[in-house]
Amino acid sequence: MLVAPHGGRLTDRQVHGNNADGLVREVSALPRLTLNGRERNDLEMIGSGAMSPLEGFMNAADYSSVVDLMHLTSGPVWPLPVVLSVKPGDPTVQTGDRAALVDTDGTIWGDIEVEDVFTADLMDEAAKTLGTTDDSHPGVQYLKGLSGRYIGGKVRSIRRKELEDFPEYRLDPKETRVLFRARGWRTVVAFQTRNPIHRAHEYIQKCAMEIVDGLLLHPLVGETKEGDIPADVRMRCYEVLLDGYYPSTRVAMSVFPAAMRYAGPREAVFHALLRKNYGCSHFIVGRDHAGVGSFYGTYDAQMIFDRFDPDELGIIPLKFEHSFFCSKCGGMATPKTCAHEAEFRIFLAGTKVRAMLKEGVMPPPEFTRPEIAKILMDAERGVDR
Amino acid sequence: MKGLVIWVRGATGPDESILDAIGTVISERGGRVEVFHSEAAGSLGIEADEKAKAAACAMLARHGVVVLAGSNEACGATGGDELEIREIALEDLAGDLAHGEFMRKLELAGLVPPPKHDVHPEEEKEILERLRELGYLD
Repeated sequence: MLVAPHGGRLTDRQVHGNNADGLVREVSALPRLTLNGRERNDLEMIGSGAMSPLEGFMNAADYSSVVDLMHLTSGPVWPLPVVLSVKPGDPTVQTGDRAALVDTDGTIWGDIEVEDVFTADLMDEAAKTLGTTDDSHPGVQYLKGLSGRYIGGKVRSIRRKELEDFPEYRLDPKETRVLFRARGWRTVVAFQTRNPIHRAHEYIQKCAMEIVDGLLLHPLVGETKEGDIPADVRMRCYEVLLDGYYPSTRVAMSVFPAAMRYAGPREAVFHALLRKNYGCSHFIVGRDHAGVGSFYGTYDAQMIFDRFDPDELGIIPLKFEHSFFCSKCGGMATPKTCAHEAEFRIFLAGTKVRAMLKEGVMPPPEFTRPEIAKILMDAERGVDR
Repeated sequence: MKGLVIWVRGATGPDESILDAIGTVISERGGRVEVFHSEAAGSLGIEADEKAKAAACAMLARHGVVVLAGSNEACGATGGDELEIREIALEDLAGDLAHGEFMRKLELAGLVPPPKHDVHPEEEKEILERLRELGYLD
């Protein structure tokens, strides 16, 4: 039996097909609230059950409870706010109203039954959830662009397959759960990534695969910050790697349509809980998971898991130290398994790798497989596929 | 599943069917359930004694039973350290949606397990078909 969803069962706030057409007709005359990119991603995740037990954007009570205590008022652990902000030009809504949820192009993506409209102290939110109010943090920049008013309430989300990226890789939690059962997997480890896949990632994934039935490679394809490698480039890298180096019966890849929040430790817990909803029993937490710049300690995102009772998390974090190729060991290793000095360890910082790729210099094969380096190099240099 | 007392205020006489309905759901999920009908309270001679009814329910709950009982007024019972007690008014359970929301609250509080199947069998067939089309399954 697979791990239970967070809060016990998958929520389902998604509307498909003819029902979706009906919902669009039904809500098109309602007041329209605008979703930004992150909120659009969140709406999709709530709709599909990936954010179970959430059934909508948080009300004031849940928001405060999550910011201050990392728990929903109903009990389950929840580390980050999932909120809908009031935008300039939005119509005034109040408790009991219904409103359509539209993107900046005016496309209807769902509706909300307004439960409350409340004021939030955004810098308090930043300090508690991101651990900083520094303007150079992308999460702080995001919050500073908001109005400070949030709208809470249950939502319905319209599935618009025709507008989705990577349709062949889009599996909802229900679908991954059916897939895992059909493959006979009981234990599944998820790997979250927003970066290209290097040998170090491959190594920790394969270490994890030794102790579970299957691997869900689950790249994040929602909103990321400027400068991150585009999702389509990353997907091509994963495809090449899976085709050439992984046993197809023990790996599945699908996309994770969440937005990055760069919230480090709290986001690591968030990522883990959402993967539990997809049916994963284990979650890989590497160095500086969901971090940015030097805002978080290298292993802060691992240590935060120790603050919770394992039963209330319901997913096991697999904590890996940074891995590298050791020329003396003749293989991949981590400081836990290799005693050799730094001079034998091949490890390159992401910025250094990107500079090399831009200049057309291949990183060492011990760091990145040449097929992957070629894709990344072409992307950095603007060469078409 | 640990013991629990659920008092439904206003659910007496004919309205006790709601107790049976909730009891059936909890029982299907593996709970040991006792619906404490007014008839049972009457046979013990305690139908008008809310305190005695609360004590009887608590005794059962301490042995892992989920007890559902109707009451004409707020029962005011407290569970002490060990015992979970939930109280809800009958009118707040009206309709399938409200009933479902109450069950959901119990689930989220870890008092009642969720349903065993997360996907309806018909939907599962459709999903399997899609997974085959996408190449995830042979």
